[in-house]
Amino acid sequence: MIPIDELKQYEILEELNPTELKILSAMAETTHAREGEVLIQAGLPARTLYILQEGNLMVAFPDGRAITFHKPGRVVGWSALVSPTSYTASVTCLTDCTLIAFPGSELLRLVQRNVAMGTKIMRNISKVLSRRLPFLQEEDRQRLRKGR
Amino acid sequence: MGGFSAISAGNGWLIAALGISVVFFGLASLAFIITYFPRAIRWWNDHAQSPKYTVQLLSSLFSQRETEATINADAGEGHEPGGPDDVEEALRLLTAHMKEPFKLPRLIEVAEQRGLARVHSTINRLLETGTMVGGTDGLFRWAKGSEKEGKAHSERGSGTGSKG
Repeated sequence: MIPIDELKQYEILEELNPTELKILSAMAETTHAREGEVLIQAGLPARTLYILQEGNLMVAFPDGRAITFHKPGRVVGWSALVSPTSYTASVTCLTDCTLIAFPGSELLRLVQRNVAMGTKIMRNISKVLSRRLPFLQEEDRQRLRKGR
Repeated sequence: MGGFSAISAGNGWLIAALGISVVFFGLASLAFIITYFPRAIRWWNDHAQSPKYTVQLLSSLFSQRETEATINADAGEGHEPGGPDDVEEALRLLTAHMKEPFKLPRLIEVAEQRGLARVHSTINRLLETGTMVGGTDGLFRWAKGSEKEGKAHSERGSGTGSKG
């Protein structure tokens, strides 16, 4: 369980009210990963969405391009919310990392059941992804279009 | 006529020397090819088969020898082999073989294959200090003039004994 005050500062959870944050708080948990550890492997089923709390990450796309994250609040594993739920990029820890992990299936169920909350989360995820558009493959873009 | 005089009369000594030379140069050439074969295959895999990379490869081979000589010359008292600055130098050597801008995951993969220690955290440090920069195209390059700054940083590190 993650404190609500901690959750509400992250971009992906902006605009969520305290009740919604409380639901998310109950399903979230802190996880740690070591330097060099592969947190997410491209092509595998997307079971977890992560928010970076501390540390540095590299997101590597199948064509060899990559982006690195050095600030808290960055989101990886968005594929857990978009069908078919399989990761489109690999994520590796550049340093020891602390992350907030959301179980993908629970989060997806919540987003589907609670339309108001789902809309806010998906809108925030869209904002995050719009910054990564140049890196997305055509099939990922199609998945996003279908998901809308 | 027989024995040594027969050999001399028939140019036997010259033919024997020629035979020895042919075999020696044949084996030397074979050894050279076998030595450089893995490097050639690696280069072929790493780059599109464009002629301009041949020039880059040759220039990088010479610059690599110069840099290795510099590293050896710098390695004195207080220098820690395998330290962050050594890893940075090794990364620079590896990227010399790649087309710049280079793919970061590929660099990490190659560096790990070479057995470099703490590759991820070193790359993170280089990114955070702006020595290595990522482009909007998802490819990475060394910052202009960073080699000089990196060297200066390395020298400071060696002097004080505090690295990283």
